[in-house]
Amino acid sequence: MATLTPTLTLVSTDASTDEINFSVTDSLNITKAIISPSKVALSTGDLTLFAAASYTKSYVYLKNTDDTIVMDIDFGTQLSIELGAGEFAFFPWESSGNILAKSASGTPYIEYAIFEA
Amino acid sequence: MATTTATVSISSSDLMPGSSLNISASSVLMKTGITTSMELMEMGNAEIVEDYEAQLFADGPATDNGAYFIYICNTTTEDTTYYVEYKLHETVIGRLYAGDWMFVPYNASDADAEVEVKGLIGPNKIEYAMFKTAWTLPAAES
Repeated sequence: MATLTPTLTLVSTDASTDEINFSVTDSLNITKAIISPSKVALSTGDLTLFAAASYTKSYVYLKNTDDTIVMDIDFGTQLSIELGAGEFAFFPWESSGNILAKSASGTPYIEYAIFEA
Repeated sequence: MATTTATVSISSSDLMPGSSLNISASSVLMKTGITTSMELMEMGNAEIVEDYEAQLFADGPATDNGAYFIYICNTTTEDTTYYVEYKLHETVIGRLYAGDWMFVPYNASDADAEVEVKGLIGPNKIEYAMFKTAWTLPAAES
């Protein structure tokens, strides 16, 4: 069993009169499959990034490495996560549906990793 | 124009033999498109009791196809087996056990673009934040 430590920090000095500056961290037990950071080129057609049948409860990291092109991530039929240029996501996934990814145009690279609990 | 920066780091010293894991990514939260940063936000805390499904962020006033950023953390400390299930667009995505958090850029692509949280084993305390491209408060009842 390995320990994964994800930390999120949100900072803003001018979003409100009260500065935002907080950090949250977690300690996760990883016991099964992992894919360490990898990259793949997307296209405007759906690519199955993670097949639900291959995983149980997992933690997913995604990052759009492109400077301009938007990427769409969905969990079946509904567009849910939209990764703008340089944006990232980290979330627990129950593997109830495939994670599909496509680009708005071109063939930009998405960086991805998955850690199965 | 406000500037809010999100940074994630993911690390592990024992995930892979002989190699530590260190992922780091950072981005400024931008409105739809890539030129204007976020100004509107909503933050808070809530208790989600068992079997109660809460609409954390409702549809309606949200601009269709707008960019949002969602942060939810289960801050429960009483019991590590407590958890909530969260949904985007009425699709179950995952569970947030005590201490777990999620952060995603979210597309409010239609009128059913809710974000929902359901307590399954609890009660759970959550904290949340949403950064928004556009937002209109619900109209007052007449």
